[in-house]
Order: sequence, then structure tokens, then C-alpha cells
Amino acid sequence: MDVVWFLVLSAFIFCIGAAGVIVRRDPLVILLCLELMLNGGNLALIAFARMHGGEAGQIFALIVMVIAACEVTIGLGMIVAMYRNRLRIDVDEMSELRG
Amino acid sequence: MILPLADVPAPEIDYRELSPIMATVGGSIVVLMVGLLRSPFARRTLVPALTAVTLLAAIGLTIWIWEPGDREPIIVRALAMDTLTLGVSILFFVSGLVTIVLSLRSDAPREAGHGEYYSLLLGTITGMVVLAGAENLITLFVGLELLSIPLYVLCATELRRRTSLESGLKYLIIGSVGSATLLYGLALIYGAAGSTQFSGIETAIGERVGLSDPLLLTGIALAATGLAFKASVAPFHQWTPDVYQGAPTPITAFMAVATKAAAFAVFLRLFDSTLGLSQLQWAPALAALATATIVIGNVGAIAQRSLKRLLAWSGVAQAGYLLAGVVVASELGLRATAFYLAVYLLMNAAAFAVVVARERVSEHGDDLASLELLGRTQPWLAWPMTIAMLSLAGFPATAGFIGKFYLIDASVAGDYTWLGIVIVVGSVVSLVYYLRVVAVMWMGRYEVELPGLPRRRVKPVAGWSPEADARAQPEVAAVAIVFAAATIAFGLAPDPLFDAARDVGTALSNLR
Amino acid sequence: MSATSYGWLVLAFPLAGLFVTSFGWRVLPGRLPGWLASAAIGLAFLASIGALVQLQDLPAEERSVVDSAWTYVGTAGVGADLAILVDPLSVFMCLVVSGVSFLIHVYSVAYMASDRGYARYFAYLNYFVFSMLLLVLAANFVLLIVGWAFVGAASYLLISFWYRRTTATYAGIKAFVMNVIGDVGLLIAAFLLLNETGSLGYAGVFEGAEDAFTRNDGTLVAACLLILVGAFAKSAQLPLHTWLPDAMEGPTPVSALIHAATMVTAGVYLIARTHPLFELAPTAADIGAIIGALTLFFAATVALAVTDLKRIIAYSTISQIGYMVLGVSVAAYGAGLFHLMTHAFFKALLFMGAGSVIGAMAGLQDIDRMGGFRRAMPFTFVTFTAGALALAAFPLTAGFFSKDEILAFTINRGGWYWALAIVGYVAAGLTAFYAFRMVFRVFYGDPVPEARELEEGHLAHGEPQNPMSGEPEDADVGFPGPEHHIAERSWPMKAAMGPLALLALVAGVVQIPGVTDVIEHFLEPTFEDSRFHDTAPTEGSELIGLVVGGLLAIAAIAVAFTVYLRRPGTADRLRERFAGVHAFLFNKWYFDELYDAVFVRPTATAGSFGRRVVETDFVQGFIVGGATGLVRAGTSFARAIQTGYLRAYALLLLLGLAGLALYFLIASS
Repeated sequence: MDVVWFLVLSAFIFCIGAAGVIVRRDPLVILLCLELMLNGGNLALIAFARMHGGEAGQIFALIVMVIAACEVTIGLGMIVAMYRNRLRIDVDEMSELRG
Repeated sequence: MILPLADVPAPEIDYRELSPIMATVGGSIVVLMVGLLRSPFARRTLVPALTAVTLLAAIGLTIWIWEPGDREPIIVRALAMDTLTLGVSILFFVSGLVTIVLSLRSDAPREAGHGEYYSLLLGTITGMVVLAGAENLITLFVGLELLSIPLYVLCATELRRRTSLESGLKYLIIGSVGSATLLYGLALIYGAAGSTQFSGIETAIGERVGLSDPLLLTGIALAATGLAFKASVAPFHQWTPDVYQGAPTPITAFMAVATKAAAFAVFLRLFDSTLGLSQLQWAPALAALATATIVIGNVGAIAQRSLKRLLAWSGVAQAGYLLAGVVVASELGLRATAFYLAVYLLMNAAAFAVVVARERVSEHGDDLASLELLGRTQPWLAWPMTIAMLSLAGFPATAGFIGKFYLIDASVAGDYTWLGIVIVVGSVVSLVYYLRVVAVMWMGRYEVELPGLPRRRVKPVAGWSPEADARAQPEVAAVAIVFAAATIAFGLAPDPLFDAARDVGTALSNLR
Repeated sequence: MSATSYGWLVLAFPLAGLFVTSFGWRVLPGRLPGWLASAAIGLAFLASIGALVQLQDLPAEERSVVDSAWTYVGTAGVGADLAILVDPLSVFMCLVVSGVSFLIHVYSVAYMASDRGYARYFAYLNYFVFSMLLLVLAANFVLLIVGWAFVGAASYLLISFWYRRTTATYAGIKAFVMNVIGDVGLLIAAFLLLNETGSLGYAGVFEGAEDAFTRNDGTLVAACLLILVGAFAKSAQLPLHTWLPDAMEGPTPVSALIHAATMVTAGVYLIARTHPLFELAPTAADIGAIIGALTLFFAATVALAVTDLKRIIAYSTISQIGYMVLGVSVAAYGAGLFHLMTHAFFKALLFMGAGSVIGAMAGLQDIDRMGGFRRAMPFTFVTFTAGALALAAFPLTAGFFSKDEILAFTINRGGWYWALAIVGYVAAGLTAFYAFRMVFRVFYGDPVPEARELEEGHLAHGEPQNPMSGEPEDADVGFPGPEHHIAERSWPMKAAMGPLALLALVAGVVQIPGVTDVIEHFLEPTFEDSRFHDTAPTEGSELIGLVVGGLLAIAAIAVAFTVYLRRPGTADRLRERFAGVHAFLFNKWYFDELYDAVFVRPTATAGSFGRRVVETDFVQGFIVGGATGLVRAGTSFARAIQTGYLRAYALLLLLGLAGLALYFLIASS
């Protein structure tokens, strides 16, 4: 199978994630969408790794997974902190800093 | 199949050159552990002291392994500890030290836990060093995330203050979008060039991959976006004012300087050196971004009452100036960028130290009004702020002037004269808000008329309390004075910095 | 101590004096600031002597020492160090500047004693001397320009010293504007030279110029002409001379120091300093010589007709600097600088004498109102006459040797330089005439009431008034104090005038052609690279020149004697007979009117047009309004898009990304 199809799919996943970040208001869902964006990148990496041979792309993808997990953890931690401060869990509510 | 351990080839590691990173990683772990101790002395005094010792040791090690020239990357060619890395590393370490001093009386470490706070600080510094030295796409991404993730947390460390949380979450989400974009760009560059090594990419471009290969150029565009985000280049700058304002001020001071330096170091390495051959393709786009950044940053800063926001917008504008040094992709540009980053550290550290000192005792928080009549009441704070503002605006006899001059010189020499002119025009516009700060300090009650919007009620940002008035903060004033003095000293005798910048300039040997 | 250490000391003392007088004026009692300031300059003079001694110990070819206190922007290779150059030329200038300045400081201690701005005055004066010495000692163009601008500022401050006198502040502004024209010229010249030779240090520029330029290279000529603009503005040469007569609004010692002895000769120093460039660009040097000759003639004729005592001397200064410019432009460096030195002596002396007389006249400066001061002020009479003799180049006085050496040199260049020399001789005759016109009109004839009162021991006390407009004035701060009528009563004034009179009479002996030649030999190391060594006049021709010059001076003095003393009505008859000529001269060749018609009035018209139409409608309405409007709109826009909504930020980020990617994709195809 041509590598192009993998690329197209990965671009789709990336864009779905990006669209999700823009339209959703729930930070939890936004974190999921960020995961989608990163995984779009992962898919592209693995496809290219297959194309070029060699292990670099796959190692890259593995490391990205670890990092993505870290990011989500931090995000969840902040959401918990917001919850404890009795703040609404809604990104549009967080607009005190502006101008 | 289970391989005997001895059969796995271990990479050669040059521990000598790796030593600064080992110092910060080790320090980070030790600090975290000490922070778990029960004794308040250990937490409040020992932890910052150990952090400072770590950073001082790292500075010492950096100077020890300092050696000009294009150095061979270490650890299977993944990390280059050359003068570019080491030069900006010193900036990270020094900003780290500044942050420690400014944090000593802050609420942030108390709320987040001293051990965690300082450990995260050392962690993000480690990430910056790795990022600046990355010679491999994987290292680059790991460094970037190691830089970013602790910073997200640090921004939110004042857990009970709503704006701190807001800034942390905003930074996290927007930052992750930027990271994902960068990752996708790196994946495309990898796909086009077939290697994650910078050297492999460099040889592939022009040989196996055409200069105008769409895959490569899209990758460059995405990677540029990710890095421009970290460097707060317009139109990827929007997080900057919000996050800077919301974060605890010592962390803002750290981010303003160190993140920018790290982002520009990798900009220089990836674009000027690795992708240098396709400079004709990417330079016009980056030049356009630089122009937009200068315009938006300066225009955005004019209407600010919050000092932290003002400095954030000014930081955006300064990023535009710095980008000019990247655009020209020459050794002169590299030197000018390195020089300006160092100068930027000096003047920003002085300015933020004054902001920290004022927002703790003034009922106006970080509002411009907190500086009113400072020249009469606390000249030891007013003078450093004045010097920092004049230097940021590029007044002669300050280091900022020479830095800007150097950047303009590099632009003109690199056939981007118009970009040099944009820098000059931008500096002129920037006088409006820098001089306003000076005027407020010396001319007293100065009703600032801001275009566009009515006067906004500004809440105190840090935890202001009446008893804070009584708190003397000699260490904060000392930071302000030392760095302001250095700004003037390097404005009058810039040669040591010039020499260092020249050493940094030798790091990337394939530049014009 | 090395020569350069002394050089730094030369700079350090006036600077220290400046700080002490400007910060200590509240605590320093009475006349102490004046004496401290004088001591500072005296020490600078001693340090100059130290530098001289050290320099003479070195072998001739090593007598050019550069010392950098700190290197500024060294890595960039510009060479704009804080560096001084100690060589015979700079030491010579230091000696003249600090020596004359010291005497004038001492004179001022008495002259300004009753002024309420006493300490301020000495702070300015020290600042001036520091700037002038910096200018002279600078080892590169940057420092030169710094000193150049500093002396301009000092001159402005001192001309407008009596700042509540409107005429004084206007004169200060005029001088400042003219000087800025010169500063800009010099700045552009330095830039051109940096561009072509890659250096700003004198040594680097002169060496680089040899390689970078061919003879009369266009860029080099342009640079030299711009240097001349700087020199002419500072030295009040045609057509930038009009500020100098007005600068006489300053206190008389200031006129003596800045506007006669030191600052105005900076242009001469500059041409001498950059002589390697001018020798590579003979066209520029010729233009300098021609303008020098025109100026010296023009100013001498004007000095015949004006009646304001200080202005006569001012025009005489312009004329004498014309001689110097002519000298250094025709490569008679030694002679030009020698004249600079002697002129500093006798012109400072003349101003001091004039100050004494003006004091006795209660501030009046019109020589038509003066007369017969010979017996009332014998000391002033003797010293003033000594100065006038030197100015007139009476045989064996200082001016005699210096002026005629320049002319002899000019003749020896041959060709059309002859014409310049003849102009010089004619003007020399006029000079002798107007010099003694002053002497005869002021000191001889029937004593005026003021002189008679003085003989009886009373000092004239007029109402304080502005000598230019005749308006009554206060004696408060910012005006001349009540007691500027001290005549010659005070010993510091005499102590300053005496040595200068002696020098004006005998200083010529150091440079008698073929006999002593001290100055020439001393300056030789600086000018040994000159290409015009072979055009130096022989001793014989110089002696012939001396004889001609001496005869001219004696004849002119005799004519003046006839016109003003033997047949007192002659002057008036001549004035009636040649009313047109007199009006022409009296109005200074209508230069001010010309400027008024050519520059000021069109500019004013254009200005009023500009204010009404351009400024109000175009600039304020369109450009400023547009720019501020633009910034305003931009600010609102930047803040408006900064909504605080995270999702909007992500959207803009992705839009920016899309734009960037699109650009790259378009660029790739």
C-alpha cells in the first residue's frame, strides 16, 4: 500500500483533533483531541518508518506516546485543581486574562 | 527472544560534555527528595540553596567544557554540547538563579511544595539544555516537552489563585497544540529526508530531496509554527500575554527569558544550519513573521496597564527583533541573536525583579499605578526599572542599544535591509510604552490615557497583604540593581559579551 | 610617567574642576569656585608641560603615542575607543589651550566677581576647557566629534550665560544652529571615511586612505569638503561666520577664551590634523585656501567700518582665522599653527583690554562714544597697544613673524596662489589700520566723561543696560551683575593681561625664520609625511616677506595716525565721500540681510504656509492623525483579538499554520 494513504489518514486524524480543540468547551474532551493530534503525528511517523526502514521513526513514536501520557496527566491534575477551587470546568469560563 | 544484557550495544557517552545536564537532572532528583523532609528549614532554606548550588555547579561545568568550534555531537550524535548550547545554557542557569531569588518570598513554592517547585524548575532547565543542543528530531521533541511540561505546572503553582490556574491550563492546551503541530512537522521532515539526524537531513536536502519538495516544505512550515509558538512569534503569540500575566511573577521572569532563548537556539540550529540550504524558501516567510511580530507586539503593548502584560507584549516584539537574526542565516546573525539573548536576560531580569518587589507591597498589584512616584520613594528600584526600560527601547549607552544595533547590522549584511528598518521603526513605536513606565515612576501621578478601552479595574495579582508592606525584600532589589548595572556595564564595555558571542558564532560551521 | 599618562591628566584636571564647581557651588564660599577652577586649568597646563617633556624624550619618529582607556565595540572592528593621541600637534594645542585658558580663568575671577552666577560660570568654563582638550587629544573621529559637539554646547551655554537677556539667548541659539551644521558635516565625513577605509582612528584612516583613494578621488574630496564644513562652522569662515559677532553677547572673558583664542581655532586644528587627507585631495585643500583668503579679506574690511568695540575684534578674529585656514590649506602647517598660538595671545589680550574699557564705560561698547582713556587706564592702554601692535604685525612682534610666514609660504606655492598672497597682504594693511583705529579712537583724543571720572578715581555707574538694544536690565541672576564696571582695578585682571602682553610682543622669537624655528621643528614629526616640504619658502624669501609685511604695517599705522589723530575730521569726510562703501562695510557686506532674504524669509514664509496648510491639514490631520489613528486602531485590534478565549487562540494558531503551510506549498510549486 502506498504511504500516501497513511499520510492522508494521519492528516485527517490531526485535523479532527485540531477541530475538536477549537469547537469543544470541555477541557477533558480537549485533552482527548490533543491526543488525537499527537497520534496523527505518530501515525505519520510509523508510516515513514515503514517506508524508510530503520528504527528511528518507531522509537520516535514510542517516545511521543510517553510524552502524550505526561501531558494528559498534567492536564487532568489541573482540572482536578479547578474542580477543588469550585470553578466551572469549561474553557470559555477561563477568560479572565485578556486584552 | 531475550538478549543477554551484554549483547545490547551501549552508546558511547562523553560524560565530561554531558556533565551540565547530569548536574541539573541529579539536582532535580535531590531537591525533590529533600523537599519531602519534614523540617521547615530543609524545605524553605535547604531546597532553594541546593537548587542554587546545582545551577552554580552547572554554570561551572559549562564553563569548564566551553570550547569554540563546531563540536562533534555526543551520545550517538543526538546532542551537541557546542558553544551555542553552552552559551544559551548559561542564560538558562542564570535565569534559574534569578527565579530562585525572586521566589524566596513567593506564595507559589509554599502552595505547590518547595521540593516540587524547585525540582520542576531544574527539570525545565534540563529540557531547555537538551532542546538547545538537539541534533536529532527525537531529542528535539523530547527536549521541548521536557521544557514545556514542568512549565505548565509551574504556571499553575499558585493553586488557589484562579488566574494562575487559568494561565496554566491555557498554556497547557495551546502549548500542546503547538507541540502536536511541531511533531507533525518533524514527522514530515523525517518522511522527506529519511533521517532523524540533523546531519542526515542536511545531507539529504539537495541530494535525495529537492529544495522545493512539498513534503519537506510542509514539514518546515509545521515545525516553524511549533517553534514560533515557543518563541511567541505572531500570529502564534496569543498565549504569551495571558500566561505571563497569570503565572507567578518569578516564573514569568523565567519564561520570558529562558523559553525564548531555548526556542531561538533550536531555531538557529534547525533552520540556519540543518535547513540552511533551503534558506531561500523559508527566509521570506520568517521575515514576514518577524515583521508581523514586531508590529503586533509593539502595538499590543501600548494599551497595557498591567506591567506583566506589558512586558509580555514587549517580549513578543523583542522576539520579532530576534527572528531577524535567524532569517539572515549567517554567522553574524547567529552572533547577534546570541548577543541579544544575553542582553535580553539582563534587562528583563531587572524589570521583573522590580515588578516582583512592587506587586508584593503595592495594593495595585502589577498595575502601572504601583510604580507611581517610585523615583522618590524607592530610587533603588526606580533606577533599575528605568535602565531596563531604556535598554529594552534601545537607548544608547545601554546593552539593549548595542544588541539592537548588532541585529540591524546582521539584517543589513544579510540583504534584509528592510527588516532592519522595521526593527528601527518598531523601536521608535516601543518608546511610547517604555517611556510611559519611566514617566510614571519619576513624574508621579500620571493618568495614563489608553486608546481604545476604558480604564479597567485591575485586581492585585500576587497575594497582597497589608503585612507584606513591612516585609523588606533586599534580595529582590539586589537582583534588580545587579542586572541593571550589568545592562549599563555591557552597554559601555560590551567586549566580553562580544567575545562570547563570537565563540557562539563558531558553533555552526556551515553558515555564511 | 609616560606622555600619555600626562595626556590623561590634562583631561582629568578640568573634569575634576567641572565636578567640584558644579556640585560644590552651595558649599564653596565666595570666590573659591573661581580659584579652584583656575587651579584645575593651571594643573592641566602643568600636565601639558609634562607631556611635552616626555614627548621630547622620545626619538622623533616615535613621537605619536596612542593610549586607549577602554576599547568600545572593539570586536566589531570599528575602533571607536576612548583613546587619546599624544603627538607634537596635540601637545602644542594642549599647551596653547590650557595656558591661555588659565590666564582667562584668573581674569574671570575678578571680572565675574559680582555676578550671581559665579560658580555656574566657572563650571561652564571648566566644561569648555575639558571639551576642547578632549577634542584636541582625541585619537579617533568618534571622540573628536564628541569633543566637537561638547565645545559647541559649552559655547552655547556661555554665550547665553546671561540667559534673561533675550539678545544673548538668541545669539546662543544662532551659534548653536550654525555649529550643528558643522557637526553634521563632520559626522557624515567620518561616516564616509569609515565606509571607505574601515576605520575611525586617525592612524587607520590615514593609512587606509592611501590605499582606498586615488588622488582627488570623488569620495575623498566629498569627505574633505564635509570636514571643511565642520571646520568653517566652528571657525566662523565664510559663509558660516555670522554667529561669531553675535556671540559677543557672552561675558567678555568668554569672548576672549572661546571666541578668539581656542574654540574658533578648532577648525584650523582639524585641517592640520587631517592633512594627509587634504594632501590626497588637493581640490578640497584649494577650496579651503580660497575661502580662507576670501574670509580674511572680507572680515578685515568689515572691521574697518563697524563701531562696536567687541565686534571689531570679533571680525578681526574671523579675519585672522582666515589667515590660519589659508596657511594650513596651503600646507604651511607650522606657520598656520604658529599664527594660531600668537593669535591666541594677542586676541585674548585685546578682548581683555576691551573688557576693561567696556567696564569703564559702564557696559557701552560703541567706540564713537569712547576716547581719551590713555591716562585713565595706563595699564590697559599699554597692554592693549601691545596686542594691537601684534595684530597689526608690527615688526618684531609675535604677529609679525607668524602672519608673514603664512604669506611667504603661499607665494612659494607659485601659480595662482600668488593671488591669495596678494589678498593676504592687502588685508594685512587693512588689519594694521583697523587695529590702530581702535587704539586711537579709544585711548587718544579728548577724554570722555567716563574717562575723566576714572582719572579722578570714580568708577562710572550707568544704569545696567543691554549694550545691543539699550534696554534697561535687572542686575539679578541671569543678567550681568551690578558691578561689571571694574575697569582695571583688580589685580587678577592685571595678572592675566601682563603675561599675555609680554607674549604678544616677544613670542615671535621662537620662530624667527632661519634663526630659531622652534615651532617648526617641534611640530615636524606630525607633518613629516607632508608632500609639500619642497615648497617651503627659503629663508631669503621669508625675510623679503617679513620686510614687505613690516613696511605695510608701519605704513598702515601711519595712515591710521593721520586719519584719526593728525587730521581728526578725515574719517568723517571719507565716510561722507564713500557713503555707499561705508554702508556696505558697516552692514557687514549685508550678509545677515542676505541670509535673511535667502534662507530665513523664504523659510519663514514656507513655514507659515507649512504651519497653516501642511502642518494642520496634512501632518496633523493625515500623517500624525493617521499614524496615531493607525496605532490606536492597531492597539484596539490587538486587544480585541486577545479575547481571553482559549479556543480562539487555538483557531488563530491553526489559521496561522495554515497560512504558513500554504505559502510554502505555493513557493514549492
